[in-house]
Amino acid sequence: MSNAVSASSINIGELIQPDRIHGRLYHDAGLFRREMDEIFHKVWVYLGHESEVPNNGDYVRRQIGLQPVIMVRGKDGKVRVLFNRCRHRANLLCPHERGNGEVFRCQYHGWTYSNQGDLLAPTFDEAYDSSLRKEDFGLTPVPRVQTYRGLIFASASPSGISLDEHLGGAKEFLDLIIDRSPVGEIELTAGTQKMSYRANWKMLPENSLEGSYHGHFIHKFAFDLFDSRSGRDRMDHDEDSTRSMPGGHMVEDFRGVQYHPRQEPSPARKAYVEMLIKTYGAERTESLTFGRAPILFVFPNLMFVQTHIRRLQPISVNETHVYYQPVMLKDVPPQINQEILRSHETSFGPAGFLSPDDIEVMERNQVGLQAMGNEWLFIGRGIHREEKLADGATIGHDMDENQLRGLWRHYAQLMSHV
Amino acid sequence: MTDADIEKFLFREARLMDEHRYQEWLTLWASDAVYWVPCLHEDTDPLRQVSIIYDNRAKLEDRVNRLQSGSVLAQDPKPRMRRVISNVEVERTGEEATVDSNFILVQARGANQYTWCGKSIHKLREQDGAIKIAYKKVLLVNSDQEMPVLQFLI
Repeated sequence: MSNAVSASSINIGELIQPDRIHGRLYHDAGLFRREMDEIFHKVWVYLGHESEVPNNGDYVRRQIGLQPVIMVRGKDGKVRVLFNRCRHRANLLCPHERGNGEVFRCQYHGWTYSNQGDLLAPTFDEAYDSSLRKEDFGLTPVPRVQTYRGLIFASASPSGISLDEHLGGAKEFLDLIIDRSPVGEIELTAGTQKMSYRANWKMLPENSLEGSYHGHFIHKFAFDLFDSRSGRDRMDHDEDSTRSMPGGHMVEDFRGVQYHPRQEPSPARKAYVEMLIKTYGAERTESLTFGRAPILFVFPNLMFVQTHIRRLQPISVNETHVYYQPVMLKDVPPQINQEILRSHETSFGPAGFLSPDDIEVMERNQVGLQAMGNEWLFIGRGIHREEKLADGATIGHDMDENQLRGLWRHYAQLMSHV
Repeated sequence: MTDADIEKFLFREARLMDEHRYQEWLTLWASDAVYWVPCLHEDTDPLRQVSIIYDNRAKLEDRVNRLQSGSVLAQDPKPRMRRVISNVEVERTGEEATVDSNFILVQARGANQYTWCGKSIHKLREQDGAIKIAYKKVLLVNSDQEMPVLQFLI
């Protein structure tokens, strides 16, 4: 049946309609391979943040799609992204998740590279004649690396649009997240919660960006708890909106939310708000505080949700890893970052009050997809009322599904190139 | 509290956790309790580093209320669990006992069977003739690996 047909014979356009998508997009192993080639191994992929490698020699292991890479700050202070593969016989060069070092030494046959990727010495090199030129055997750099406000992205394709063009309208929302620091800098220095789930990678951005809808059902206990303490009323969301952007990005925009916490703010929080007003003025500070940070998805693997950056890593068609890293704000009173940590743990990670319900529902979703009587998933909510902007973005009511339709339009474009 | 009392207490705590007896489990805790499941094995500062769980008594009560609310998807149906507690080592400082122990927990949930394993560090004290948990830190062997949902008492 559908699982057995080769992916190259699939016409993507037939699987993605304006208001519905075909279940095969989530469980066809051939399509997954094509997604790796056409999406993850071509477009700008989020890898990490400069604060994760603050010192010369610091490195972290990451992946671009299925390809292992090392993100390392060389002795010249520059951050590089190098394929994690010894040039000798392709051994995984760096097996450690993070660390600091002047060199990478392959444990298989001892070939040694500088932290800038240059081959320093093959071993027992009298056996090589002059045909082995060290300069030809440096670690292979990922073709393109660019940053936006400390966030590091890489593309395994030597050509294509710039990061700036890729981010497009998403920059306005990244700014809202990063400007919550009075000096406009965030730091991913507070560690990582790691989860895995048995479902397709695309379910995570879909789920993460429509929480205002499913939250009424799978997060009822947590939403009731948070509403009772914060003074928010989740049914009062007329000013919220959901946006799809060219490039496949999605956002839930909460800037219009009208509520203030019931409790008197702590001295630390008052001081923090004053710092923001001093940097950004009173009007912008309103958009930066009181839980108004947007929920953002930057295609294909970066999310920002309330307290944290969420990086997704596809493993196979029905397995995905998720990394939750709380966003620490630079130069704020320490209590503010402690509040972010505690609030993060309450909601997110393996034992949080929100994300485990999302994980569980995505795993059930993957099982539900195996019922093939009618393989279409419906994403038509609010289609009659979505507002189309000149640049191709759409805006909908907060519980609409226009953002998902935008995601799938972009996906269809990328996957139809073949 | 003798070493035998302490071991008996750990076994009772394990039974209450295995059988989803949340309110009874909550009565084992002191009012100033700290319940900590870190993400890393090396020493970390929970004020600067994220944890899997870092609860004070109030958040522990929220946690228990949620687990018994009937609205936790991974608890529908409730997973069956049994754990074995072993390698108990007790050290005393003043009124308090610091107790290291290991556990292996097997959980049947949905179509899958999960194994969880780790070391617990309890700080126990006697209060009104009963043993109370003042502090509990759980070092999961997989704390820094990608893991499934942890929606039960550990």
